[in-house]
Amino acid sequence: MPTLPAISVTDLNVSFGAAHVLRDVSFSVANGESFGLVGESGSGKSTVLRVLSGLNPVWSGDIAFGETVHAKKPAKSFFRQVQMVFQDPFASLHPRMTIDGILAEPLAIHGIDRPDERIAGALRDVGLDEGFRFRYPHQLSGGQRQRVAIARALALEPSVLLLDEPTSALDVSIQAEVLNLLQDIKQQRNLTMVIVSHNLAVVGHMCNRVAVMNGGKIVEETDIASLRETGGREIYTRELLAASRRVSLSATLGAA
Amino acid sequence: MSALYSYLTSERPASRRQAQLGQYYRQWRALKQNPLALIGLSIVLILLVVAASAPLISPYDPLAQNLDQRLLPPSAAHFFGTDALGRDIFSRILFGTRLTLAIVLLVVISVGPVGLIIGTVSGYFGGIIDTILMRITDVFLAFPRLVLALAFVAVLGPGIENAVIAIACTAWPPYARVARAETMVIRNADYIAAVRLQGASQTRIILKHVIPMCIPSVIVRTTLDMAGIILIAAGLGFLGLGAQPPSPEWGAMIAAGREFIFDQWWVAAFPGLAICLVALGFNLLGDGLRDVLDAH
Amino acid sequence: MTNDMASDAPLIEVKNLAVRFHTPTRIVEAVRGLSFTLGREKLAIVGESGSGKSMTGRAILDLVPWPGEVSAQRLAYRGRDLQAMKPQERRGLRGKHISMVMQDPKFSLNPVMTVGKQIAEAYRVHTRVSAAEARERALAMLEAVQIREPARVFDLYPHEVSGGMGQRVMIAMMLIGEPDVLIADEPTSALDVTVQAQILDILERLVTDRGMGLIFISHDLPLVAAFCDRVIVMYAGRVMETLDAKDLRHGKHPYTQGLLGCLPDLDHPRQRLAVLDRDPAWAGG
Repeated sequence: MPTLPAISVTDLNVSFGAAHVLRDVSFSVANGESFGLVGESGSGKSTVLRVLSGLNPVWSGDIAFGETVHAKKPAKSFFRQVQMVFQDPFASLHPRMTIDGILAEPLAIHGIDRPDERIAGALRDVGLDEGFRFRYPHQLSGGQRQRVAIARALALEPSVLLLDEPTSALDVSIQAEVLNLLQDIKQQRNLTMVIVSHNLAVVGHMCNRVAVMNGGKIVEETDIASLRETGGREIYTRELLAASRRVSLSATLGAA
Repeated sequence: MSALYSYLTSERPASRRQAQLGQYYRQWRALKQNPLALIGLSIVLILLVVAASAPLISPYDPLAQNLDQRLLPPSAAHFFGTDALGRDIFSRILFGTRLTLAIVLLVVISVGPVGLIIGTVSGYFGGIIDTILMRITDVFLAFPRLVLALAFVAVLGPGIENAVIAIACTAWPPYARVARAETMVIRNADYIAAVRLQGASQTRIILKHVIPMCIPSVIVRTTLDMAGIILIAAGLGFLGLGAQPPSPEWGAMIAAGREFIFDQWWVAAFPGLAICLVALGFNLLGDGLRDVLDAH
Repeated sequence: MTNDMASDAPLIEVKNLAVRFHTPTRIVEAVRGLSFTLGREKLAIVGESGSGKSMTGRAILDLVPWPGEVSAQRLAYRGRDLQAMKPQERRGLRGKHISMVMQDPKFSLNPVMTVGKQIAEAYRVHTRVSAAEARERALAMLEAVQIREPARVFDLYPHEVSGGMGQRVMIAMMLIGEPDVLIADEPTSALDVTVQAQILDILERLVTDRGMGLIFISHDLPLVAAFCDRVIVMYAGRVMETLDAKDLRHGKHPYTQGLLGCLPDLDHPRQRLAVLDRDPAWAGG
């Protein structure tokens, strides 16, 4: 008996008024896999993530997380299974709550025991020491904030982590630290990840498979290795890849 | 002292309380930078002290009439002179602080939460709930405040309690407006989306996440509004619809001095000055608080 | 007016530039001891946030926000001392001789004026011409930034144009005064990668054709390596090193190497990204 994929999306459509934002989007992500969604602004990649996370209740199609059929208004237990990290760590942490308060919130909502211990552990897991616990977000750097946001997403021990441009607001040196952290966490916890990004290099580094989106549709779905070798089948994929390569590390500076 | 200082300014607070106190300390330091706000704060503090210690510091009984000493000009015996019934105006003003503070506090306690709840609920849910709540708010906003308060007092009868109720009924709509405007921005913020994704109920989101963001602007609004509340209370008192004689309410005292304003100016002038000063104090403080609390 | 403009003087000379911000508790030094000269070339200033790269561009244009304070041993445009100039003289330089393109066109364009009108206005600020003539120039400029239907775009409002189009409009507006120096502060980082390539092509062509000097401020090392001639690498307000763009890969400074090492590369996948070890000595001393 084949195991169910961690995420399966079939014919997902989203319209806001007259604007048809997503058209017949289908893909599936295996357990423990990292799946990338790349595309430019307006391609609909972030909308896919908002639908998956439960933030966007307006959609049609079939979505399932393992055996759980995704509802328009998900039950409370759904959020223990699927969590999301937002793009801008300066906007995603409540400015008037301490890190402690921010991390305590999901535990309190779900009535999880031993919150003190868990908060300390969550901070340790994302590489922040105890001294950060009672600070306010404005006392932290962008990279530290994104670590807190990751810790918050992991507090409920989800099996699926959705990442919306998790490093595009960060400096490149901080980006490297956060990407390394995400890879470590993924391995430790056998997480399934969906990463939305405009940066092909980031997606290539993090993912095994990638879907290229344009105009609300998936143009091409491929694994990274063959994308790297063949440059993609579709014209749009090839254009995107060519533009990315023009300003990529090895193209401009040669291999290390 | 230096131990306290390092406790408050620690970059690595060790407990929730220390973090909170540190936050207050930073805000206090910011407030200290603003001399006008400090003047406002001093006026408000003096008002509090005077209200608390009025019986100790007033030279005379504010209600004791002495018809031999009617309308005496300011002197060493009577700093602010005496009124038509020979009562010491200085003592009456000192005792008047209690009435003023009582009115202000009662209004604020009732108005702040009501405005906050109506505004955040309206702004967070939007749609039909927003329309209904905001039309009700508009109805209250449409009337000039003093006129509406007059109508309420006319129905309820004169007296200080009814004045408070009347002022409270007319004062909440601006608070609801402020809270709603803030909430409409806040509800789209990523940090609200993040708590929604943690499975928080809508009540929890509003109470724990939206309201704390609105409180600073409501506090600022309140402090700025206090001057207006004091003036309306004085206005009602002046018209004889607020505090009743012989209680030493400032507005009523001005009304009583109106007949002698040209010959015995001090009867009306000193309560008037007191109102100005207190209103100014709250305004300056409110301005300073806005700068401190709005800085994110 | 042009007497003191030695024709062989570099376009921009900066010697020992410092930008300081006085806050109640301490003095923040955004830029410390920066020196460079700009000829008719594409010079990149790269660094991460807080490196002082943007403040450098602003200091040249006298646009450092309050309470910032600029000082330098020499700050000159074509041999003319900028620090000795009166404020209105310096303002006169902006747009006509030195222009600046910012990161996000959304915040740089006036939302209640059509883009064409804004470009024409920019031209008329410095040149006494009729409205009709300014319009002609603006249309020509829109064409120069490769906007296909200049007449149609001329009458659009900023919210009606896309990010890439907006940035072209900004470039058109900044170049219509025919400046000698263009300062571009992250001009493409808010744009999609395919649009970014087009914008860079336009900049490249205009700068080369008109013999301008370009100061290109960016956080993106591979991008400036592909696009610029020379690179200044900044960290914590100080220059780490200055080198030819083609030698960037062989930069000697550990910070340059560290920045390159931590970038993911599509074509050369690695298990783990290198992490930058910040040496406190880079910021101090």
